[in-house]
Amino acid sequence: MSFSEPKRYYVERRIAERMTATGALSFASYFARLRTDVDGEVEHFVNAFTVNETYFYREDHQLRCLTTNLLAERLAVKGPSAAIRIWSVPCSTGEEPYSIAIWLLENWPLVDRHEIEIVASDIDTAALERAREGLFGKRALMRLPTEIVASYFTPEGPDAWRILADLRDSVRFTQVNIVKPEETRPNGRFDVVFCRNVLIYFDDTSRRIAAENLYENLEPGGFICLGHTESMSRISPLFEVQRFADAIVYRRPPGEPHG
Amino acid sequence: MPLIRRNATPAAASPPDAAKVLDALAGGTEQERWEAARAAPGIPGAAKALCDAARREASAGVREAMFTALTQIASPESVEQLVPLLRSDDAWLRTAALDALRAMKSLVGPYIPSLLHDANSDVRLLACELARDQPGKESAALLCELLETEQEPNVCASAVEVLAEIGDAEALPALARCEERFRGVSFLEFAIRITADRIRASSRKPRA
Amino acid sequence: MAEAGKRVLVVDDAALVRLYYRGALESHGYVVEEALNGLEALEKISGAAFDLLVVDVNMPQMDGLTFVAKLRSLALPVAATPVLITSTESGPQDFAAARVAGANFYVTKPVTPEQLVALAAMLCGIAA
Repeated sequence: MSFSEPKRYYVERRIAERMTATGALSFASYFARLRTDVDGEVEHFVNAFTVNETYFYREDHQLRCLTTNLLAERLAVKGPSAAIRIWSVPCSTGEEPYSIAIWLLENWPLVDRHEIEIVASDIDTAALERAREGLFGKRALMRLPTEIVASYFTPEGPDAWRILADLRDSVRFTQVNIVKPEETRPNGRFDVVFCRNVLIYFDDTSRRIAAENLYENLEPGGFICLGHTESMSRISPLFEVQRFADAIVYRRPPGEPHG
Repeated sequence: MPLIRRNATPAAASPPDAAKVLDALAGGTEQERWEAARAAPGIPGAAKALCDAARREASAGVREAMFTALTQIASPESVEQLVPLLRSDDAWLRTAALDALRAMKSLVGPYIPSLLHDANSDVRLLACELARDQPGKESAALLCELLETEQEPNVCASAVEVLAEIGDAEALPALARCEERFRGVSFLEFAIRITADRIRASSRKPRA
Repeated sequence: MAEAGKRVLVVDDAALVRLYYRGALESHGYVVEEALNGLEALEKISGAAFDLLVVDVNMPQMDGLTFVAKLRSLALPVAATPVLITSTESGPQDFAAARVAGANFYVTKPVTPEQLVALAAMLCGIAA
């Protein structure tokens, strides 16, 4: 396989990122880690190259952070019986918002004590339609344990599982271009926003506008999770960084009188 | 089932009232200034109003929104309003103006030659950064020209840093002469040596 | 070496400057990390302790003086991390601005390796 110069650079950059992330001091030591899949490195490596692909429980360390830390932080501010609003944007064909729903049902001890509203948005109406249909193939489900697939999906064909109607009905899908405040604002304010792997594709100006829109859609003190290769340090100074055991997230500062 | 779905009806957004926006920029509450900044693109006279307001604005977030609006307007007027801010004593204003100008790469090109000859050395230094994103070989040539006569080592350092990325073998003579002029300035010697090495290494690589 | 293991975060958007400081500091036993603007620096310090921050003023997204002011508003002990500001400016108002922001020391670029190492030793000594 021969790479053009830009593609070779792209590959080198991805490998360099993984080496930095894992603290590998040489390619040999990184390669050893990859071959033996230390700490799930194979998935991280594949993720680094397939930023566009979506599947259930992708980057689940952020879901873990959600139920371990983020919801508790929000409830500490809002009160013990408060409702929770979560936004998945862009939601593509639904893997992310449905993952959030399943994860909460499976992993949050307090899930029955709170109203949880999940809104899922995308610019692509065809993707939204497929998300509403909730039909997924083996590749999308590859990271789900078999018990989860059995509990939440009905097989409909050799490579087709449909997510339960209860779950399809519990997510609100809206069409949104995140660069347009007139389209983002009507979705209201959220406790947690997942905005993964889309801001990197925007030009500088669009990225700034999108960051300001997302800021407006967050409750003061609310959290936003970006993709694992993304950082607000290249995007916008509006957010504070907060580091938890499972993830680095960003927060709309509480108490700012604007937005 | 704790997951609930609400079917909200989006509020109809009314187009912004130009006079109200300009008023709010000049004297509204923090929330009003934030909203006005975000509504400003599309309103005549907004570029000047935004820049004037940004100079006085105390809230970092509102200032950020004002600069975003200026990059969104993306007109020659925005560029001309932003360029003087490169001379500001306030580090925040300088870097915010530079970030905004960087986001308008297609408009800022014609201003770069004169910025590289500005009387203020910090402006010349920041202008080297703007040259980084310009297409074609003209910027590299301008930076090489700067290296021949620039007296300020920090401005040369900024030019060298950018040439490490956009320079080719044609830059090597100017780099060598600059190193000669600034012999003894250890950072510049270092930067020029590394940059020249990188340029030589990349011009040896086979083109794909 | 007394410096062995002292951790320095170099905050500068210029890659060549970061490389230059890294060379000077590592050859004297310091452990060096990098950030390319004030926002990235805030991320780094949220994850690890540093004995010294070397911070440039002119950086995209968040300039060095804004970063230092934010640093000083965080909780202890991070807020008390020693800071060396580096800047192209050398007028008295710039020294004053650095002091107001909360910097411990201010040096005008270009910096020599000897200057950097001497300042690092002095400022890390404060923390010890």
